[in-house]
Amino acid sequence: MKIHSVSTRYSWSFVCMTSLRDRAQLMTNTRCFGRNFVTASSSLPPVQLPAQREVHFWYVLPDEVKSTNLLNQYLEILSPCEKEEIFRIREEQLKKSALLARALVRTTLARYQTKCQIDPKSFKFKKNNYGKPEVDWQSADDWSLPPLHFNISHTSSLIACGVAVGSPIGIDVEEKQRRLKNDILAFAQRFFSPHEIETLTHIADPELRLQEFIKLWTLKEAYVKALGKGFSASPFKTFTVRLRDHMKGDIHALRHVIYKAPDITVEPSVDLKNPSSNWEFVLLELAGSHYAAVCIEQDSIDPGSKSGNGSMPINLTLRKTIPFVEDECISANDSAVVIGGLARLAVCD
Amino acid sequence: MGIANQMGSMSVNSFSFCLNQTQTLVAGCRISKPGSVSLSIKGTTFPSLTLQRRVPRLRVTCAAKPETVNKVCDIVKKQLALPDESSVSGESKFAALGADSLDTVEIVMGLEEAFGISVEEESAQSITTVQEAADMIDKLLESKSA
Repeated sequence: MKIHSVSTRYSWSFVCMTSLRDRAQLMTNTRCFGRNFVTASSSLPPVQLPAQREVHFWYVLPDEVKSTNLLNQYLEILSPCEKEEIFRIREEQLKKSALLARALVRTTLARYQTKCQIDPKSFKFKKNNYGKPEVDWQSADDWSLPPLHFNISHTSSLIACGVAVGSPIGIDVEEKQRRLKNDILAFAQRFFSPHEIETLTHIADPELRLQEFIKLWTLKEAYVKALGKGFSASPFKTFTVRLRDHMKGDIHALRHVIYKAPDITVEPSVDLKNPSSNWEFVLLELAGSHYAAVCIEQDSIDPGSKSGNGSMPINLTLRKTIPFVEDECISANDSAVVIGGLARLAVCD
Repeated sequence: MGIANQMGSMSVNSFSFCLNQTQTLVAGCRISKPGSVSLSIKGTTFPSLTLQRRVPRLRVTCAAKPETVNKVCDIVKKQLALPDESSVSGESKFAALGADSLDTVEIVMGLEEAFGISVEEESAQSITTVQEAADMIDKLLESKSA
């Protein structure tokens, strides 16, 4: 989601430019937190790059970030332009959200060090021809990082950043309970594909219908964002996302019934002869409150990727973070469930 | 191009424009005499349209009518559940008001209903400001009544 701004005076309490004395003060204050970090980058534990067919999913919960000092630190690592944009946002929560999103991207990317520590402040970003933000690697001097792809999404209550190597990535998060102002079916009639409308129409229970709608929405968003060509290039009506349920595991052969998450596919709405088989999806339920969709491009030379049953699952590493403070590896449990797509929640390094 | 004038009429051949049946050629402009355009020139040709002192009330604008902008603001406030007194104007970007992509599409749907128009999907998901929405609406309304 792009961060835009409205020209207006800001009222937030911290300042962008700190004097040397203030910086010293800031450092002292942060030491009082019990964490001893001298430079910004030294407090970001390094992380191995994602491998092929691996996605790193980082997220921050704005409600967990309350310290003004910490928010100041985040502000410090932004570019002047990003700071400007944030100062122009009026509403406090939106300002905080925009700040956290930028800080999340910068700190996340900075963790993937190979030779030396990277200062999160040093990243430069640009937009592709369609407006999708990317890292401007050309200004990276002599880093030897392979091209990382990233994508952000935020809701008011959760901000996420997905990272992949060797594949474009799109992610979208939504609150499960998010209400539409319009009637779901009327909305779907207007914007979704015929098959999707049919799927939603057949769900009688309004709550379940809403949940299915949100799942479809996040998957469609993630797909368009992964494509990176903007919504004009792929209007929602022109492609269909399907969640195909599997049969549950054979109860006699196994001690426990293994539920296999539905397959997720995308295909053009009209030309079904030519499905787009090179995009893969993962759908997660996070903290019981959010759906998160991830879309990456399939590795065309991966021998396992074309055949149905032999496909290798995507390894998804899930981390909840408060940058500079703590990272928590989330494994498959109540707070994170794969509810669609061939993926497994991997253990963090 | 709307030009209002009380002098005699004369055709100008250095630029061309179309008059449709309605009073407005461009949103925000009014022509005092429907079906005619008058231009006061005294043997001068105009390579391009310029303001002449002898032509009072020359208004050229491509932006949406203020009423449209206001109506869009109201719909946006409603969709995003913003208080009435919150500042939403033509410049306002949806994202800066807290709208995500789902909100934006819902706003477009609300605008379609309120104005009785139909927006192309390509446009629906790429409108980012109140002004863009209002401009698009006025353009659609204009072509609808043409």
